[in-house]
Amino acid sequence: MRTAIAVALVLALLAAVWAWLRERHGALRLQRQLDAASEELQRLQQACARLAPAGVVDRLVADHVDELTAMPAQRKVVTALFADLVGYTAMSERLDAAVLARVLNGYFQRMSDAIHEHRGHVSTFLGDGILAYFGALQPNPWQSADAVRAALAMRAAMADYNRELAREGLPTLNVGIGIHNGSGLVGLIGSRERMEYGFVGRTVNLAARVQALTRTHGVDILVTDAVRSELDATFRLDAMPAERVKGIAEPVVSYAVRERITTPDASPTQVSH
Amino acid sequence: MSSALAHVAWEPCFVEARQDRELETHARRRMGLPNPAVRYFAPAPWVARAAVDINPSFGLLIHLDLHTADLVGLVVSQENACRFCFAAVRAVLWFQGMDRERVLRVEQEIARPDLPAMVRATLDYARAQSRSGPTGAHGAWAALRGAGVSAGEAREIAYTVAVSDFSNRLHTALAIPPLPFERTPESLLMRLLRPLLGRVTGARRSRGSPVAAAMDLPERPYGRLIGAFGDSPIAPVLAHALDEMWASSHLSPRCKLLMFAVVSRGLPCEVCELEISRALQREGLDAAAVARLLTHLDGPELEPVERLLMSYARETLWYQPAVLQRHTRMLRDQLSPEQLIEAVGVAALANGICRMAAVVMDEPA
Repeated sequence: MRTAIAVALVLALLAAVWAWLRERHGALRLQRQLDAASEELQRLQQACARLAPAGVVDRLVADHVDELTAMPAQRKVVTALFADLVGYTAMSERLDAAVLARVLNGYFQRMSDAIHEHRGHVSTFLGDGILAYFGALQPNPWQSADAVRAALAMRAAMADYNRELAREGLPTLNVGIGIHNGSGLVGLIGSRERMEYGFVGRTVNLAARVQALTRTHGVDILVTDAVRSELDATFRLDAMPAERVKGIAEPVVSYAVRERITTPDASPTQVSH
Repeated sequence: MSSALAHVAWEPCFVEARQDRELETHARRRMGLPNPAVRYFAPAPWVARAAVDINPSFGLLIHLDLHTADLVGLVVSQENACRFCFAAVRAVLWFQGMDRERVLRVEQEIARPDLPAMVRATLDYARAQSRSGPTGAHGAWAALRGAGVSAGEAREIAYTVAVSDFSNRLHTALAIPPLPFERTPESLLMRLLRPLLGRVTGARRSRGSPVAAAMDLPERPYGRLIGAFGDSPIAPVLAHALDEMWASSHLSPRCKLLMFAVVSRGLPCEVCELEISRALQREGLDAAAVARLLTHLDGPELEPVERLLMSYARETLWYQPAVLQRHTRMLRDQLSPEQLIEAVGVAALANGICRMAAVVMDEPA
């Protein structure tokens, strides 16, 4: 009888251990699957971050809700920076496709780094052009100064890049940059199949027009009066003659950005006429 | 147990831990366990004390239950990608007896859209206060109150978010090593000690009880905010942390006020900016100078350290951990260790307080 009880106890113990091991094995398997799914999600999130601003992707993933309700479009004041390569078409006809792609990628990378470093985000690449926003994703009362600092950093990065290109015997590049700020509609905009975190309004149009004026005035960075009024004395600007541009009724006053000095000696922005 | 934040780039810690028996004993007595981060904050003792004393889990919450407070801490730490704080909250949940699978389920559940309305509203508000500041959080605050959360509970939720925002910035900016907490559930020693540690931490974690409300609100910034907490134990603890911060001498009061002003302008929090601007005028800066300094973050009136730290304060508003750590590391080369810890503490406190101040002060007591 005792033996039978002992055997029964041992069997019960073995059954309990077996059940525990089985459950643990199942839990570990589920854990591994969960970890793998989590890593896959992470990879997807990183891939998506190349297609949309990282903050937007993070928010959509964190909220786990429909993108239309997660980030409704709202009216905001945003600073738009539009940059375009000068003489790209002629250069593109002379260079081999692979070399051209390498030169362009190097240009886009350096310009994007300068924009991100100054709290902007690249909205889109338009051919050889770059459209970037400051103050669209998060409130930024210093967005105009950030955009102009980014433009100055882009100028410096371009000079470095041109030295690299020249060493390789490749043609150098020149960029024209236009900056304007104003109100517009910001958010995820588009169809159900294809959405984009964008900024819609006259501001973008005017930034592009001002960028085009860099060729007219023979300068590389132009800002509108709206941007100039928010800059301090450390920015040295030159007033340019007012010009008529397509789609804007009044002639557009713009200012060439010369440099930024680090010791302010006056309150209003320093403008030479 | 892999962490949802394991991928977040985190620099090696670039400040030295400094032994301070008094601070370490204070932390251990309050929290029940040694707090490994306290040594890093020792050069500015008020920062170390604030990191321990304002923690809502230790006798400060009257209305909000501690489990919801933990969830709020988890959500905000995830939002701010603070590996240290996220791992610390997970470790606390694990010490309390949750198995690893349950902790993972909790993390997954806080993202589920089918949560009970009040929990959902609480977590939505926590995210909104942390990510959008007071202006962006007004809608979520209304939803929180609309979901049936009482005024007292809502204020405690806002406070819990504020403390998480403070703690996240403090630990992230200085790159305090998260690994000891991240590896806690894997450590054999910790697994053996878990029941004991759970009892010790559980005994210290408690609900608070009302205290005598301060009759005379101080003539200093955020006096109204402290008053809004009425007879909650949060009021004296918050007042003490702020008093210690203003009194510490590693940075001038004007420098600290300018950092608070930058955070108020950047969020934006108009009610905070107004209080700070008045305090700056008492420090000798006229209203026009304050407005100009806040518009351009620069001006001839500024001392070099003020210029440096106004610029740093704005880096703490919205950040990627690696970028914030890079900026803080650059600051280390220009400040003494005491100034560095104080600067990070001021910026972190400004972010926490300004984010909650507008909603809490707007709410009728």
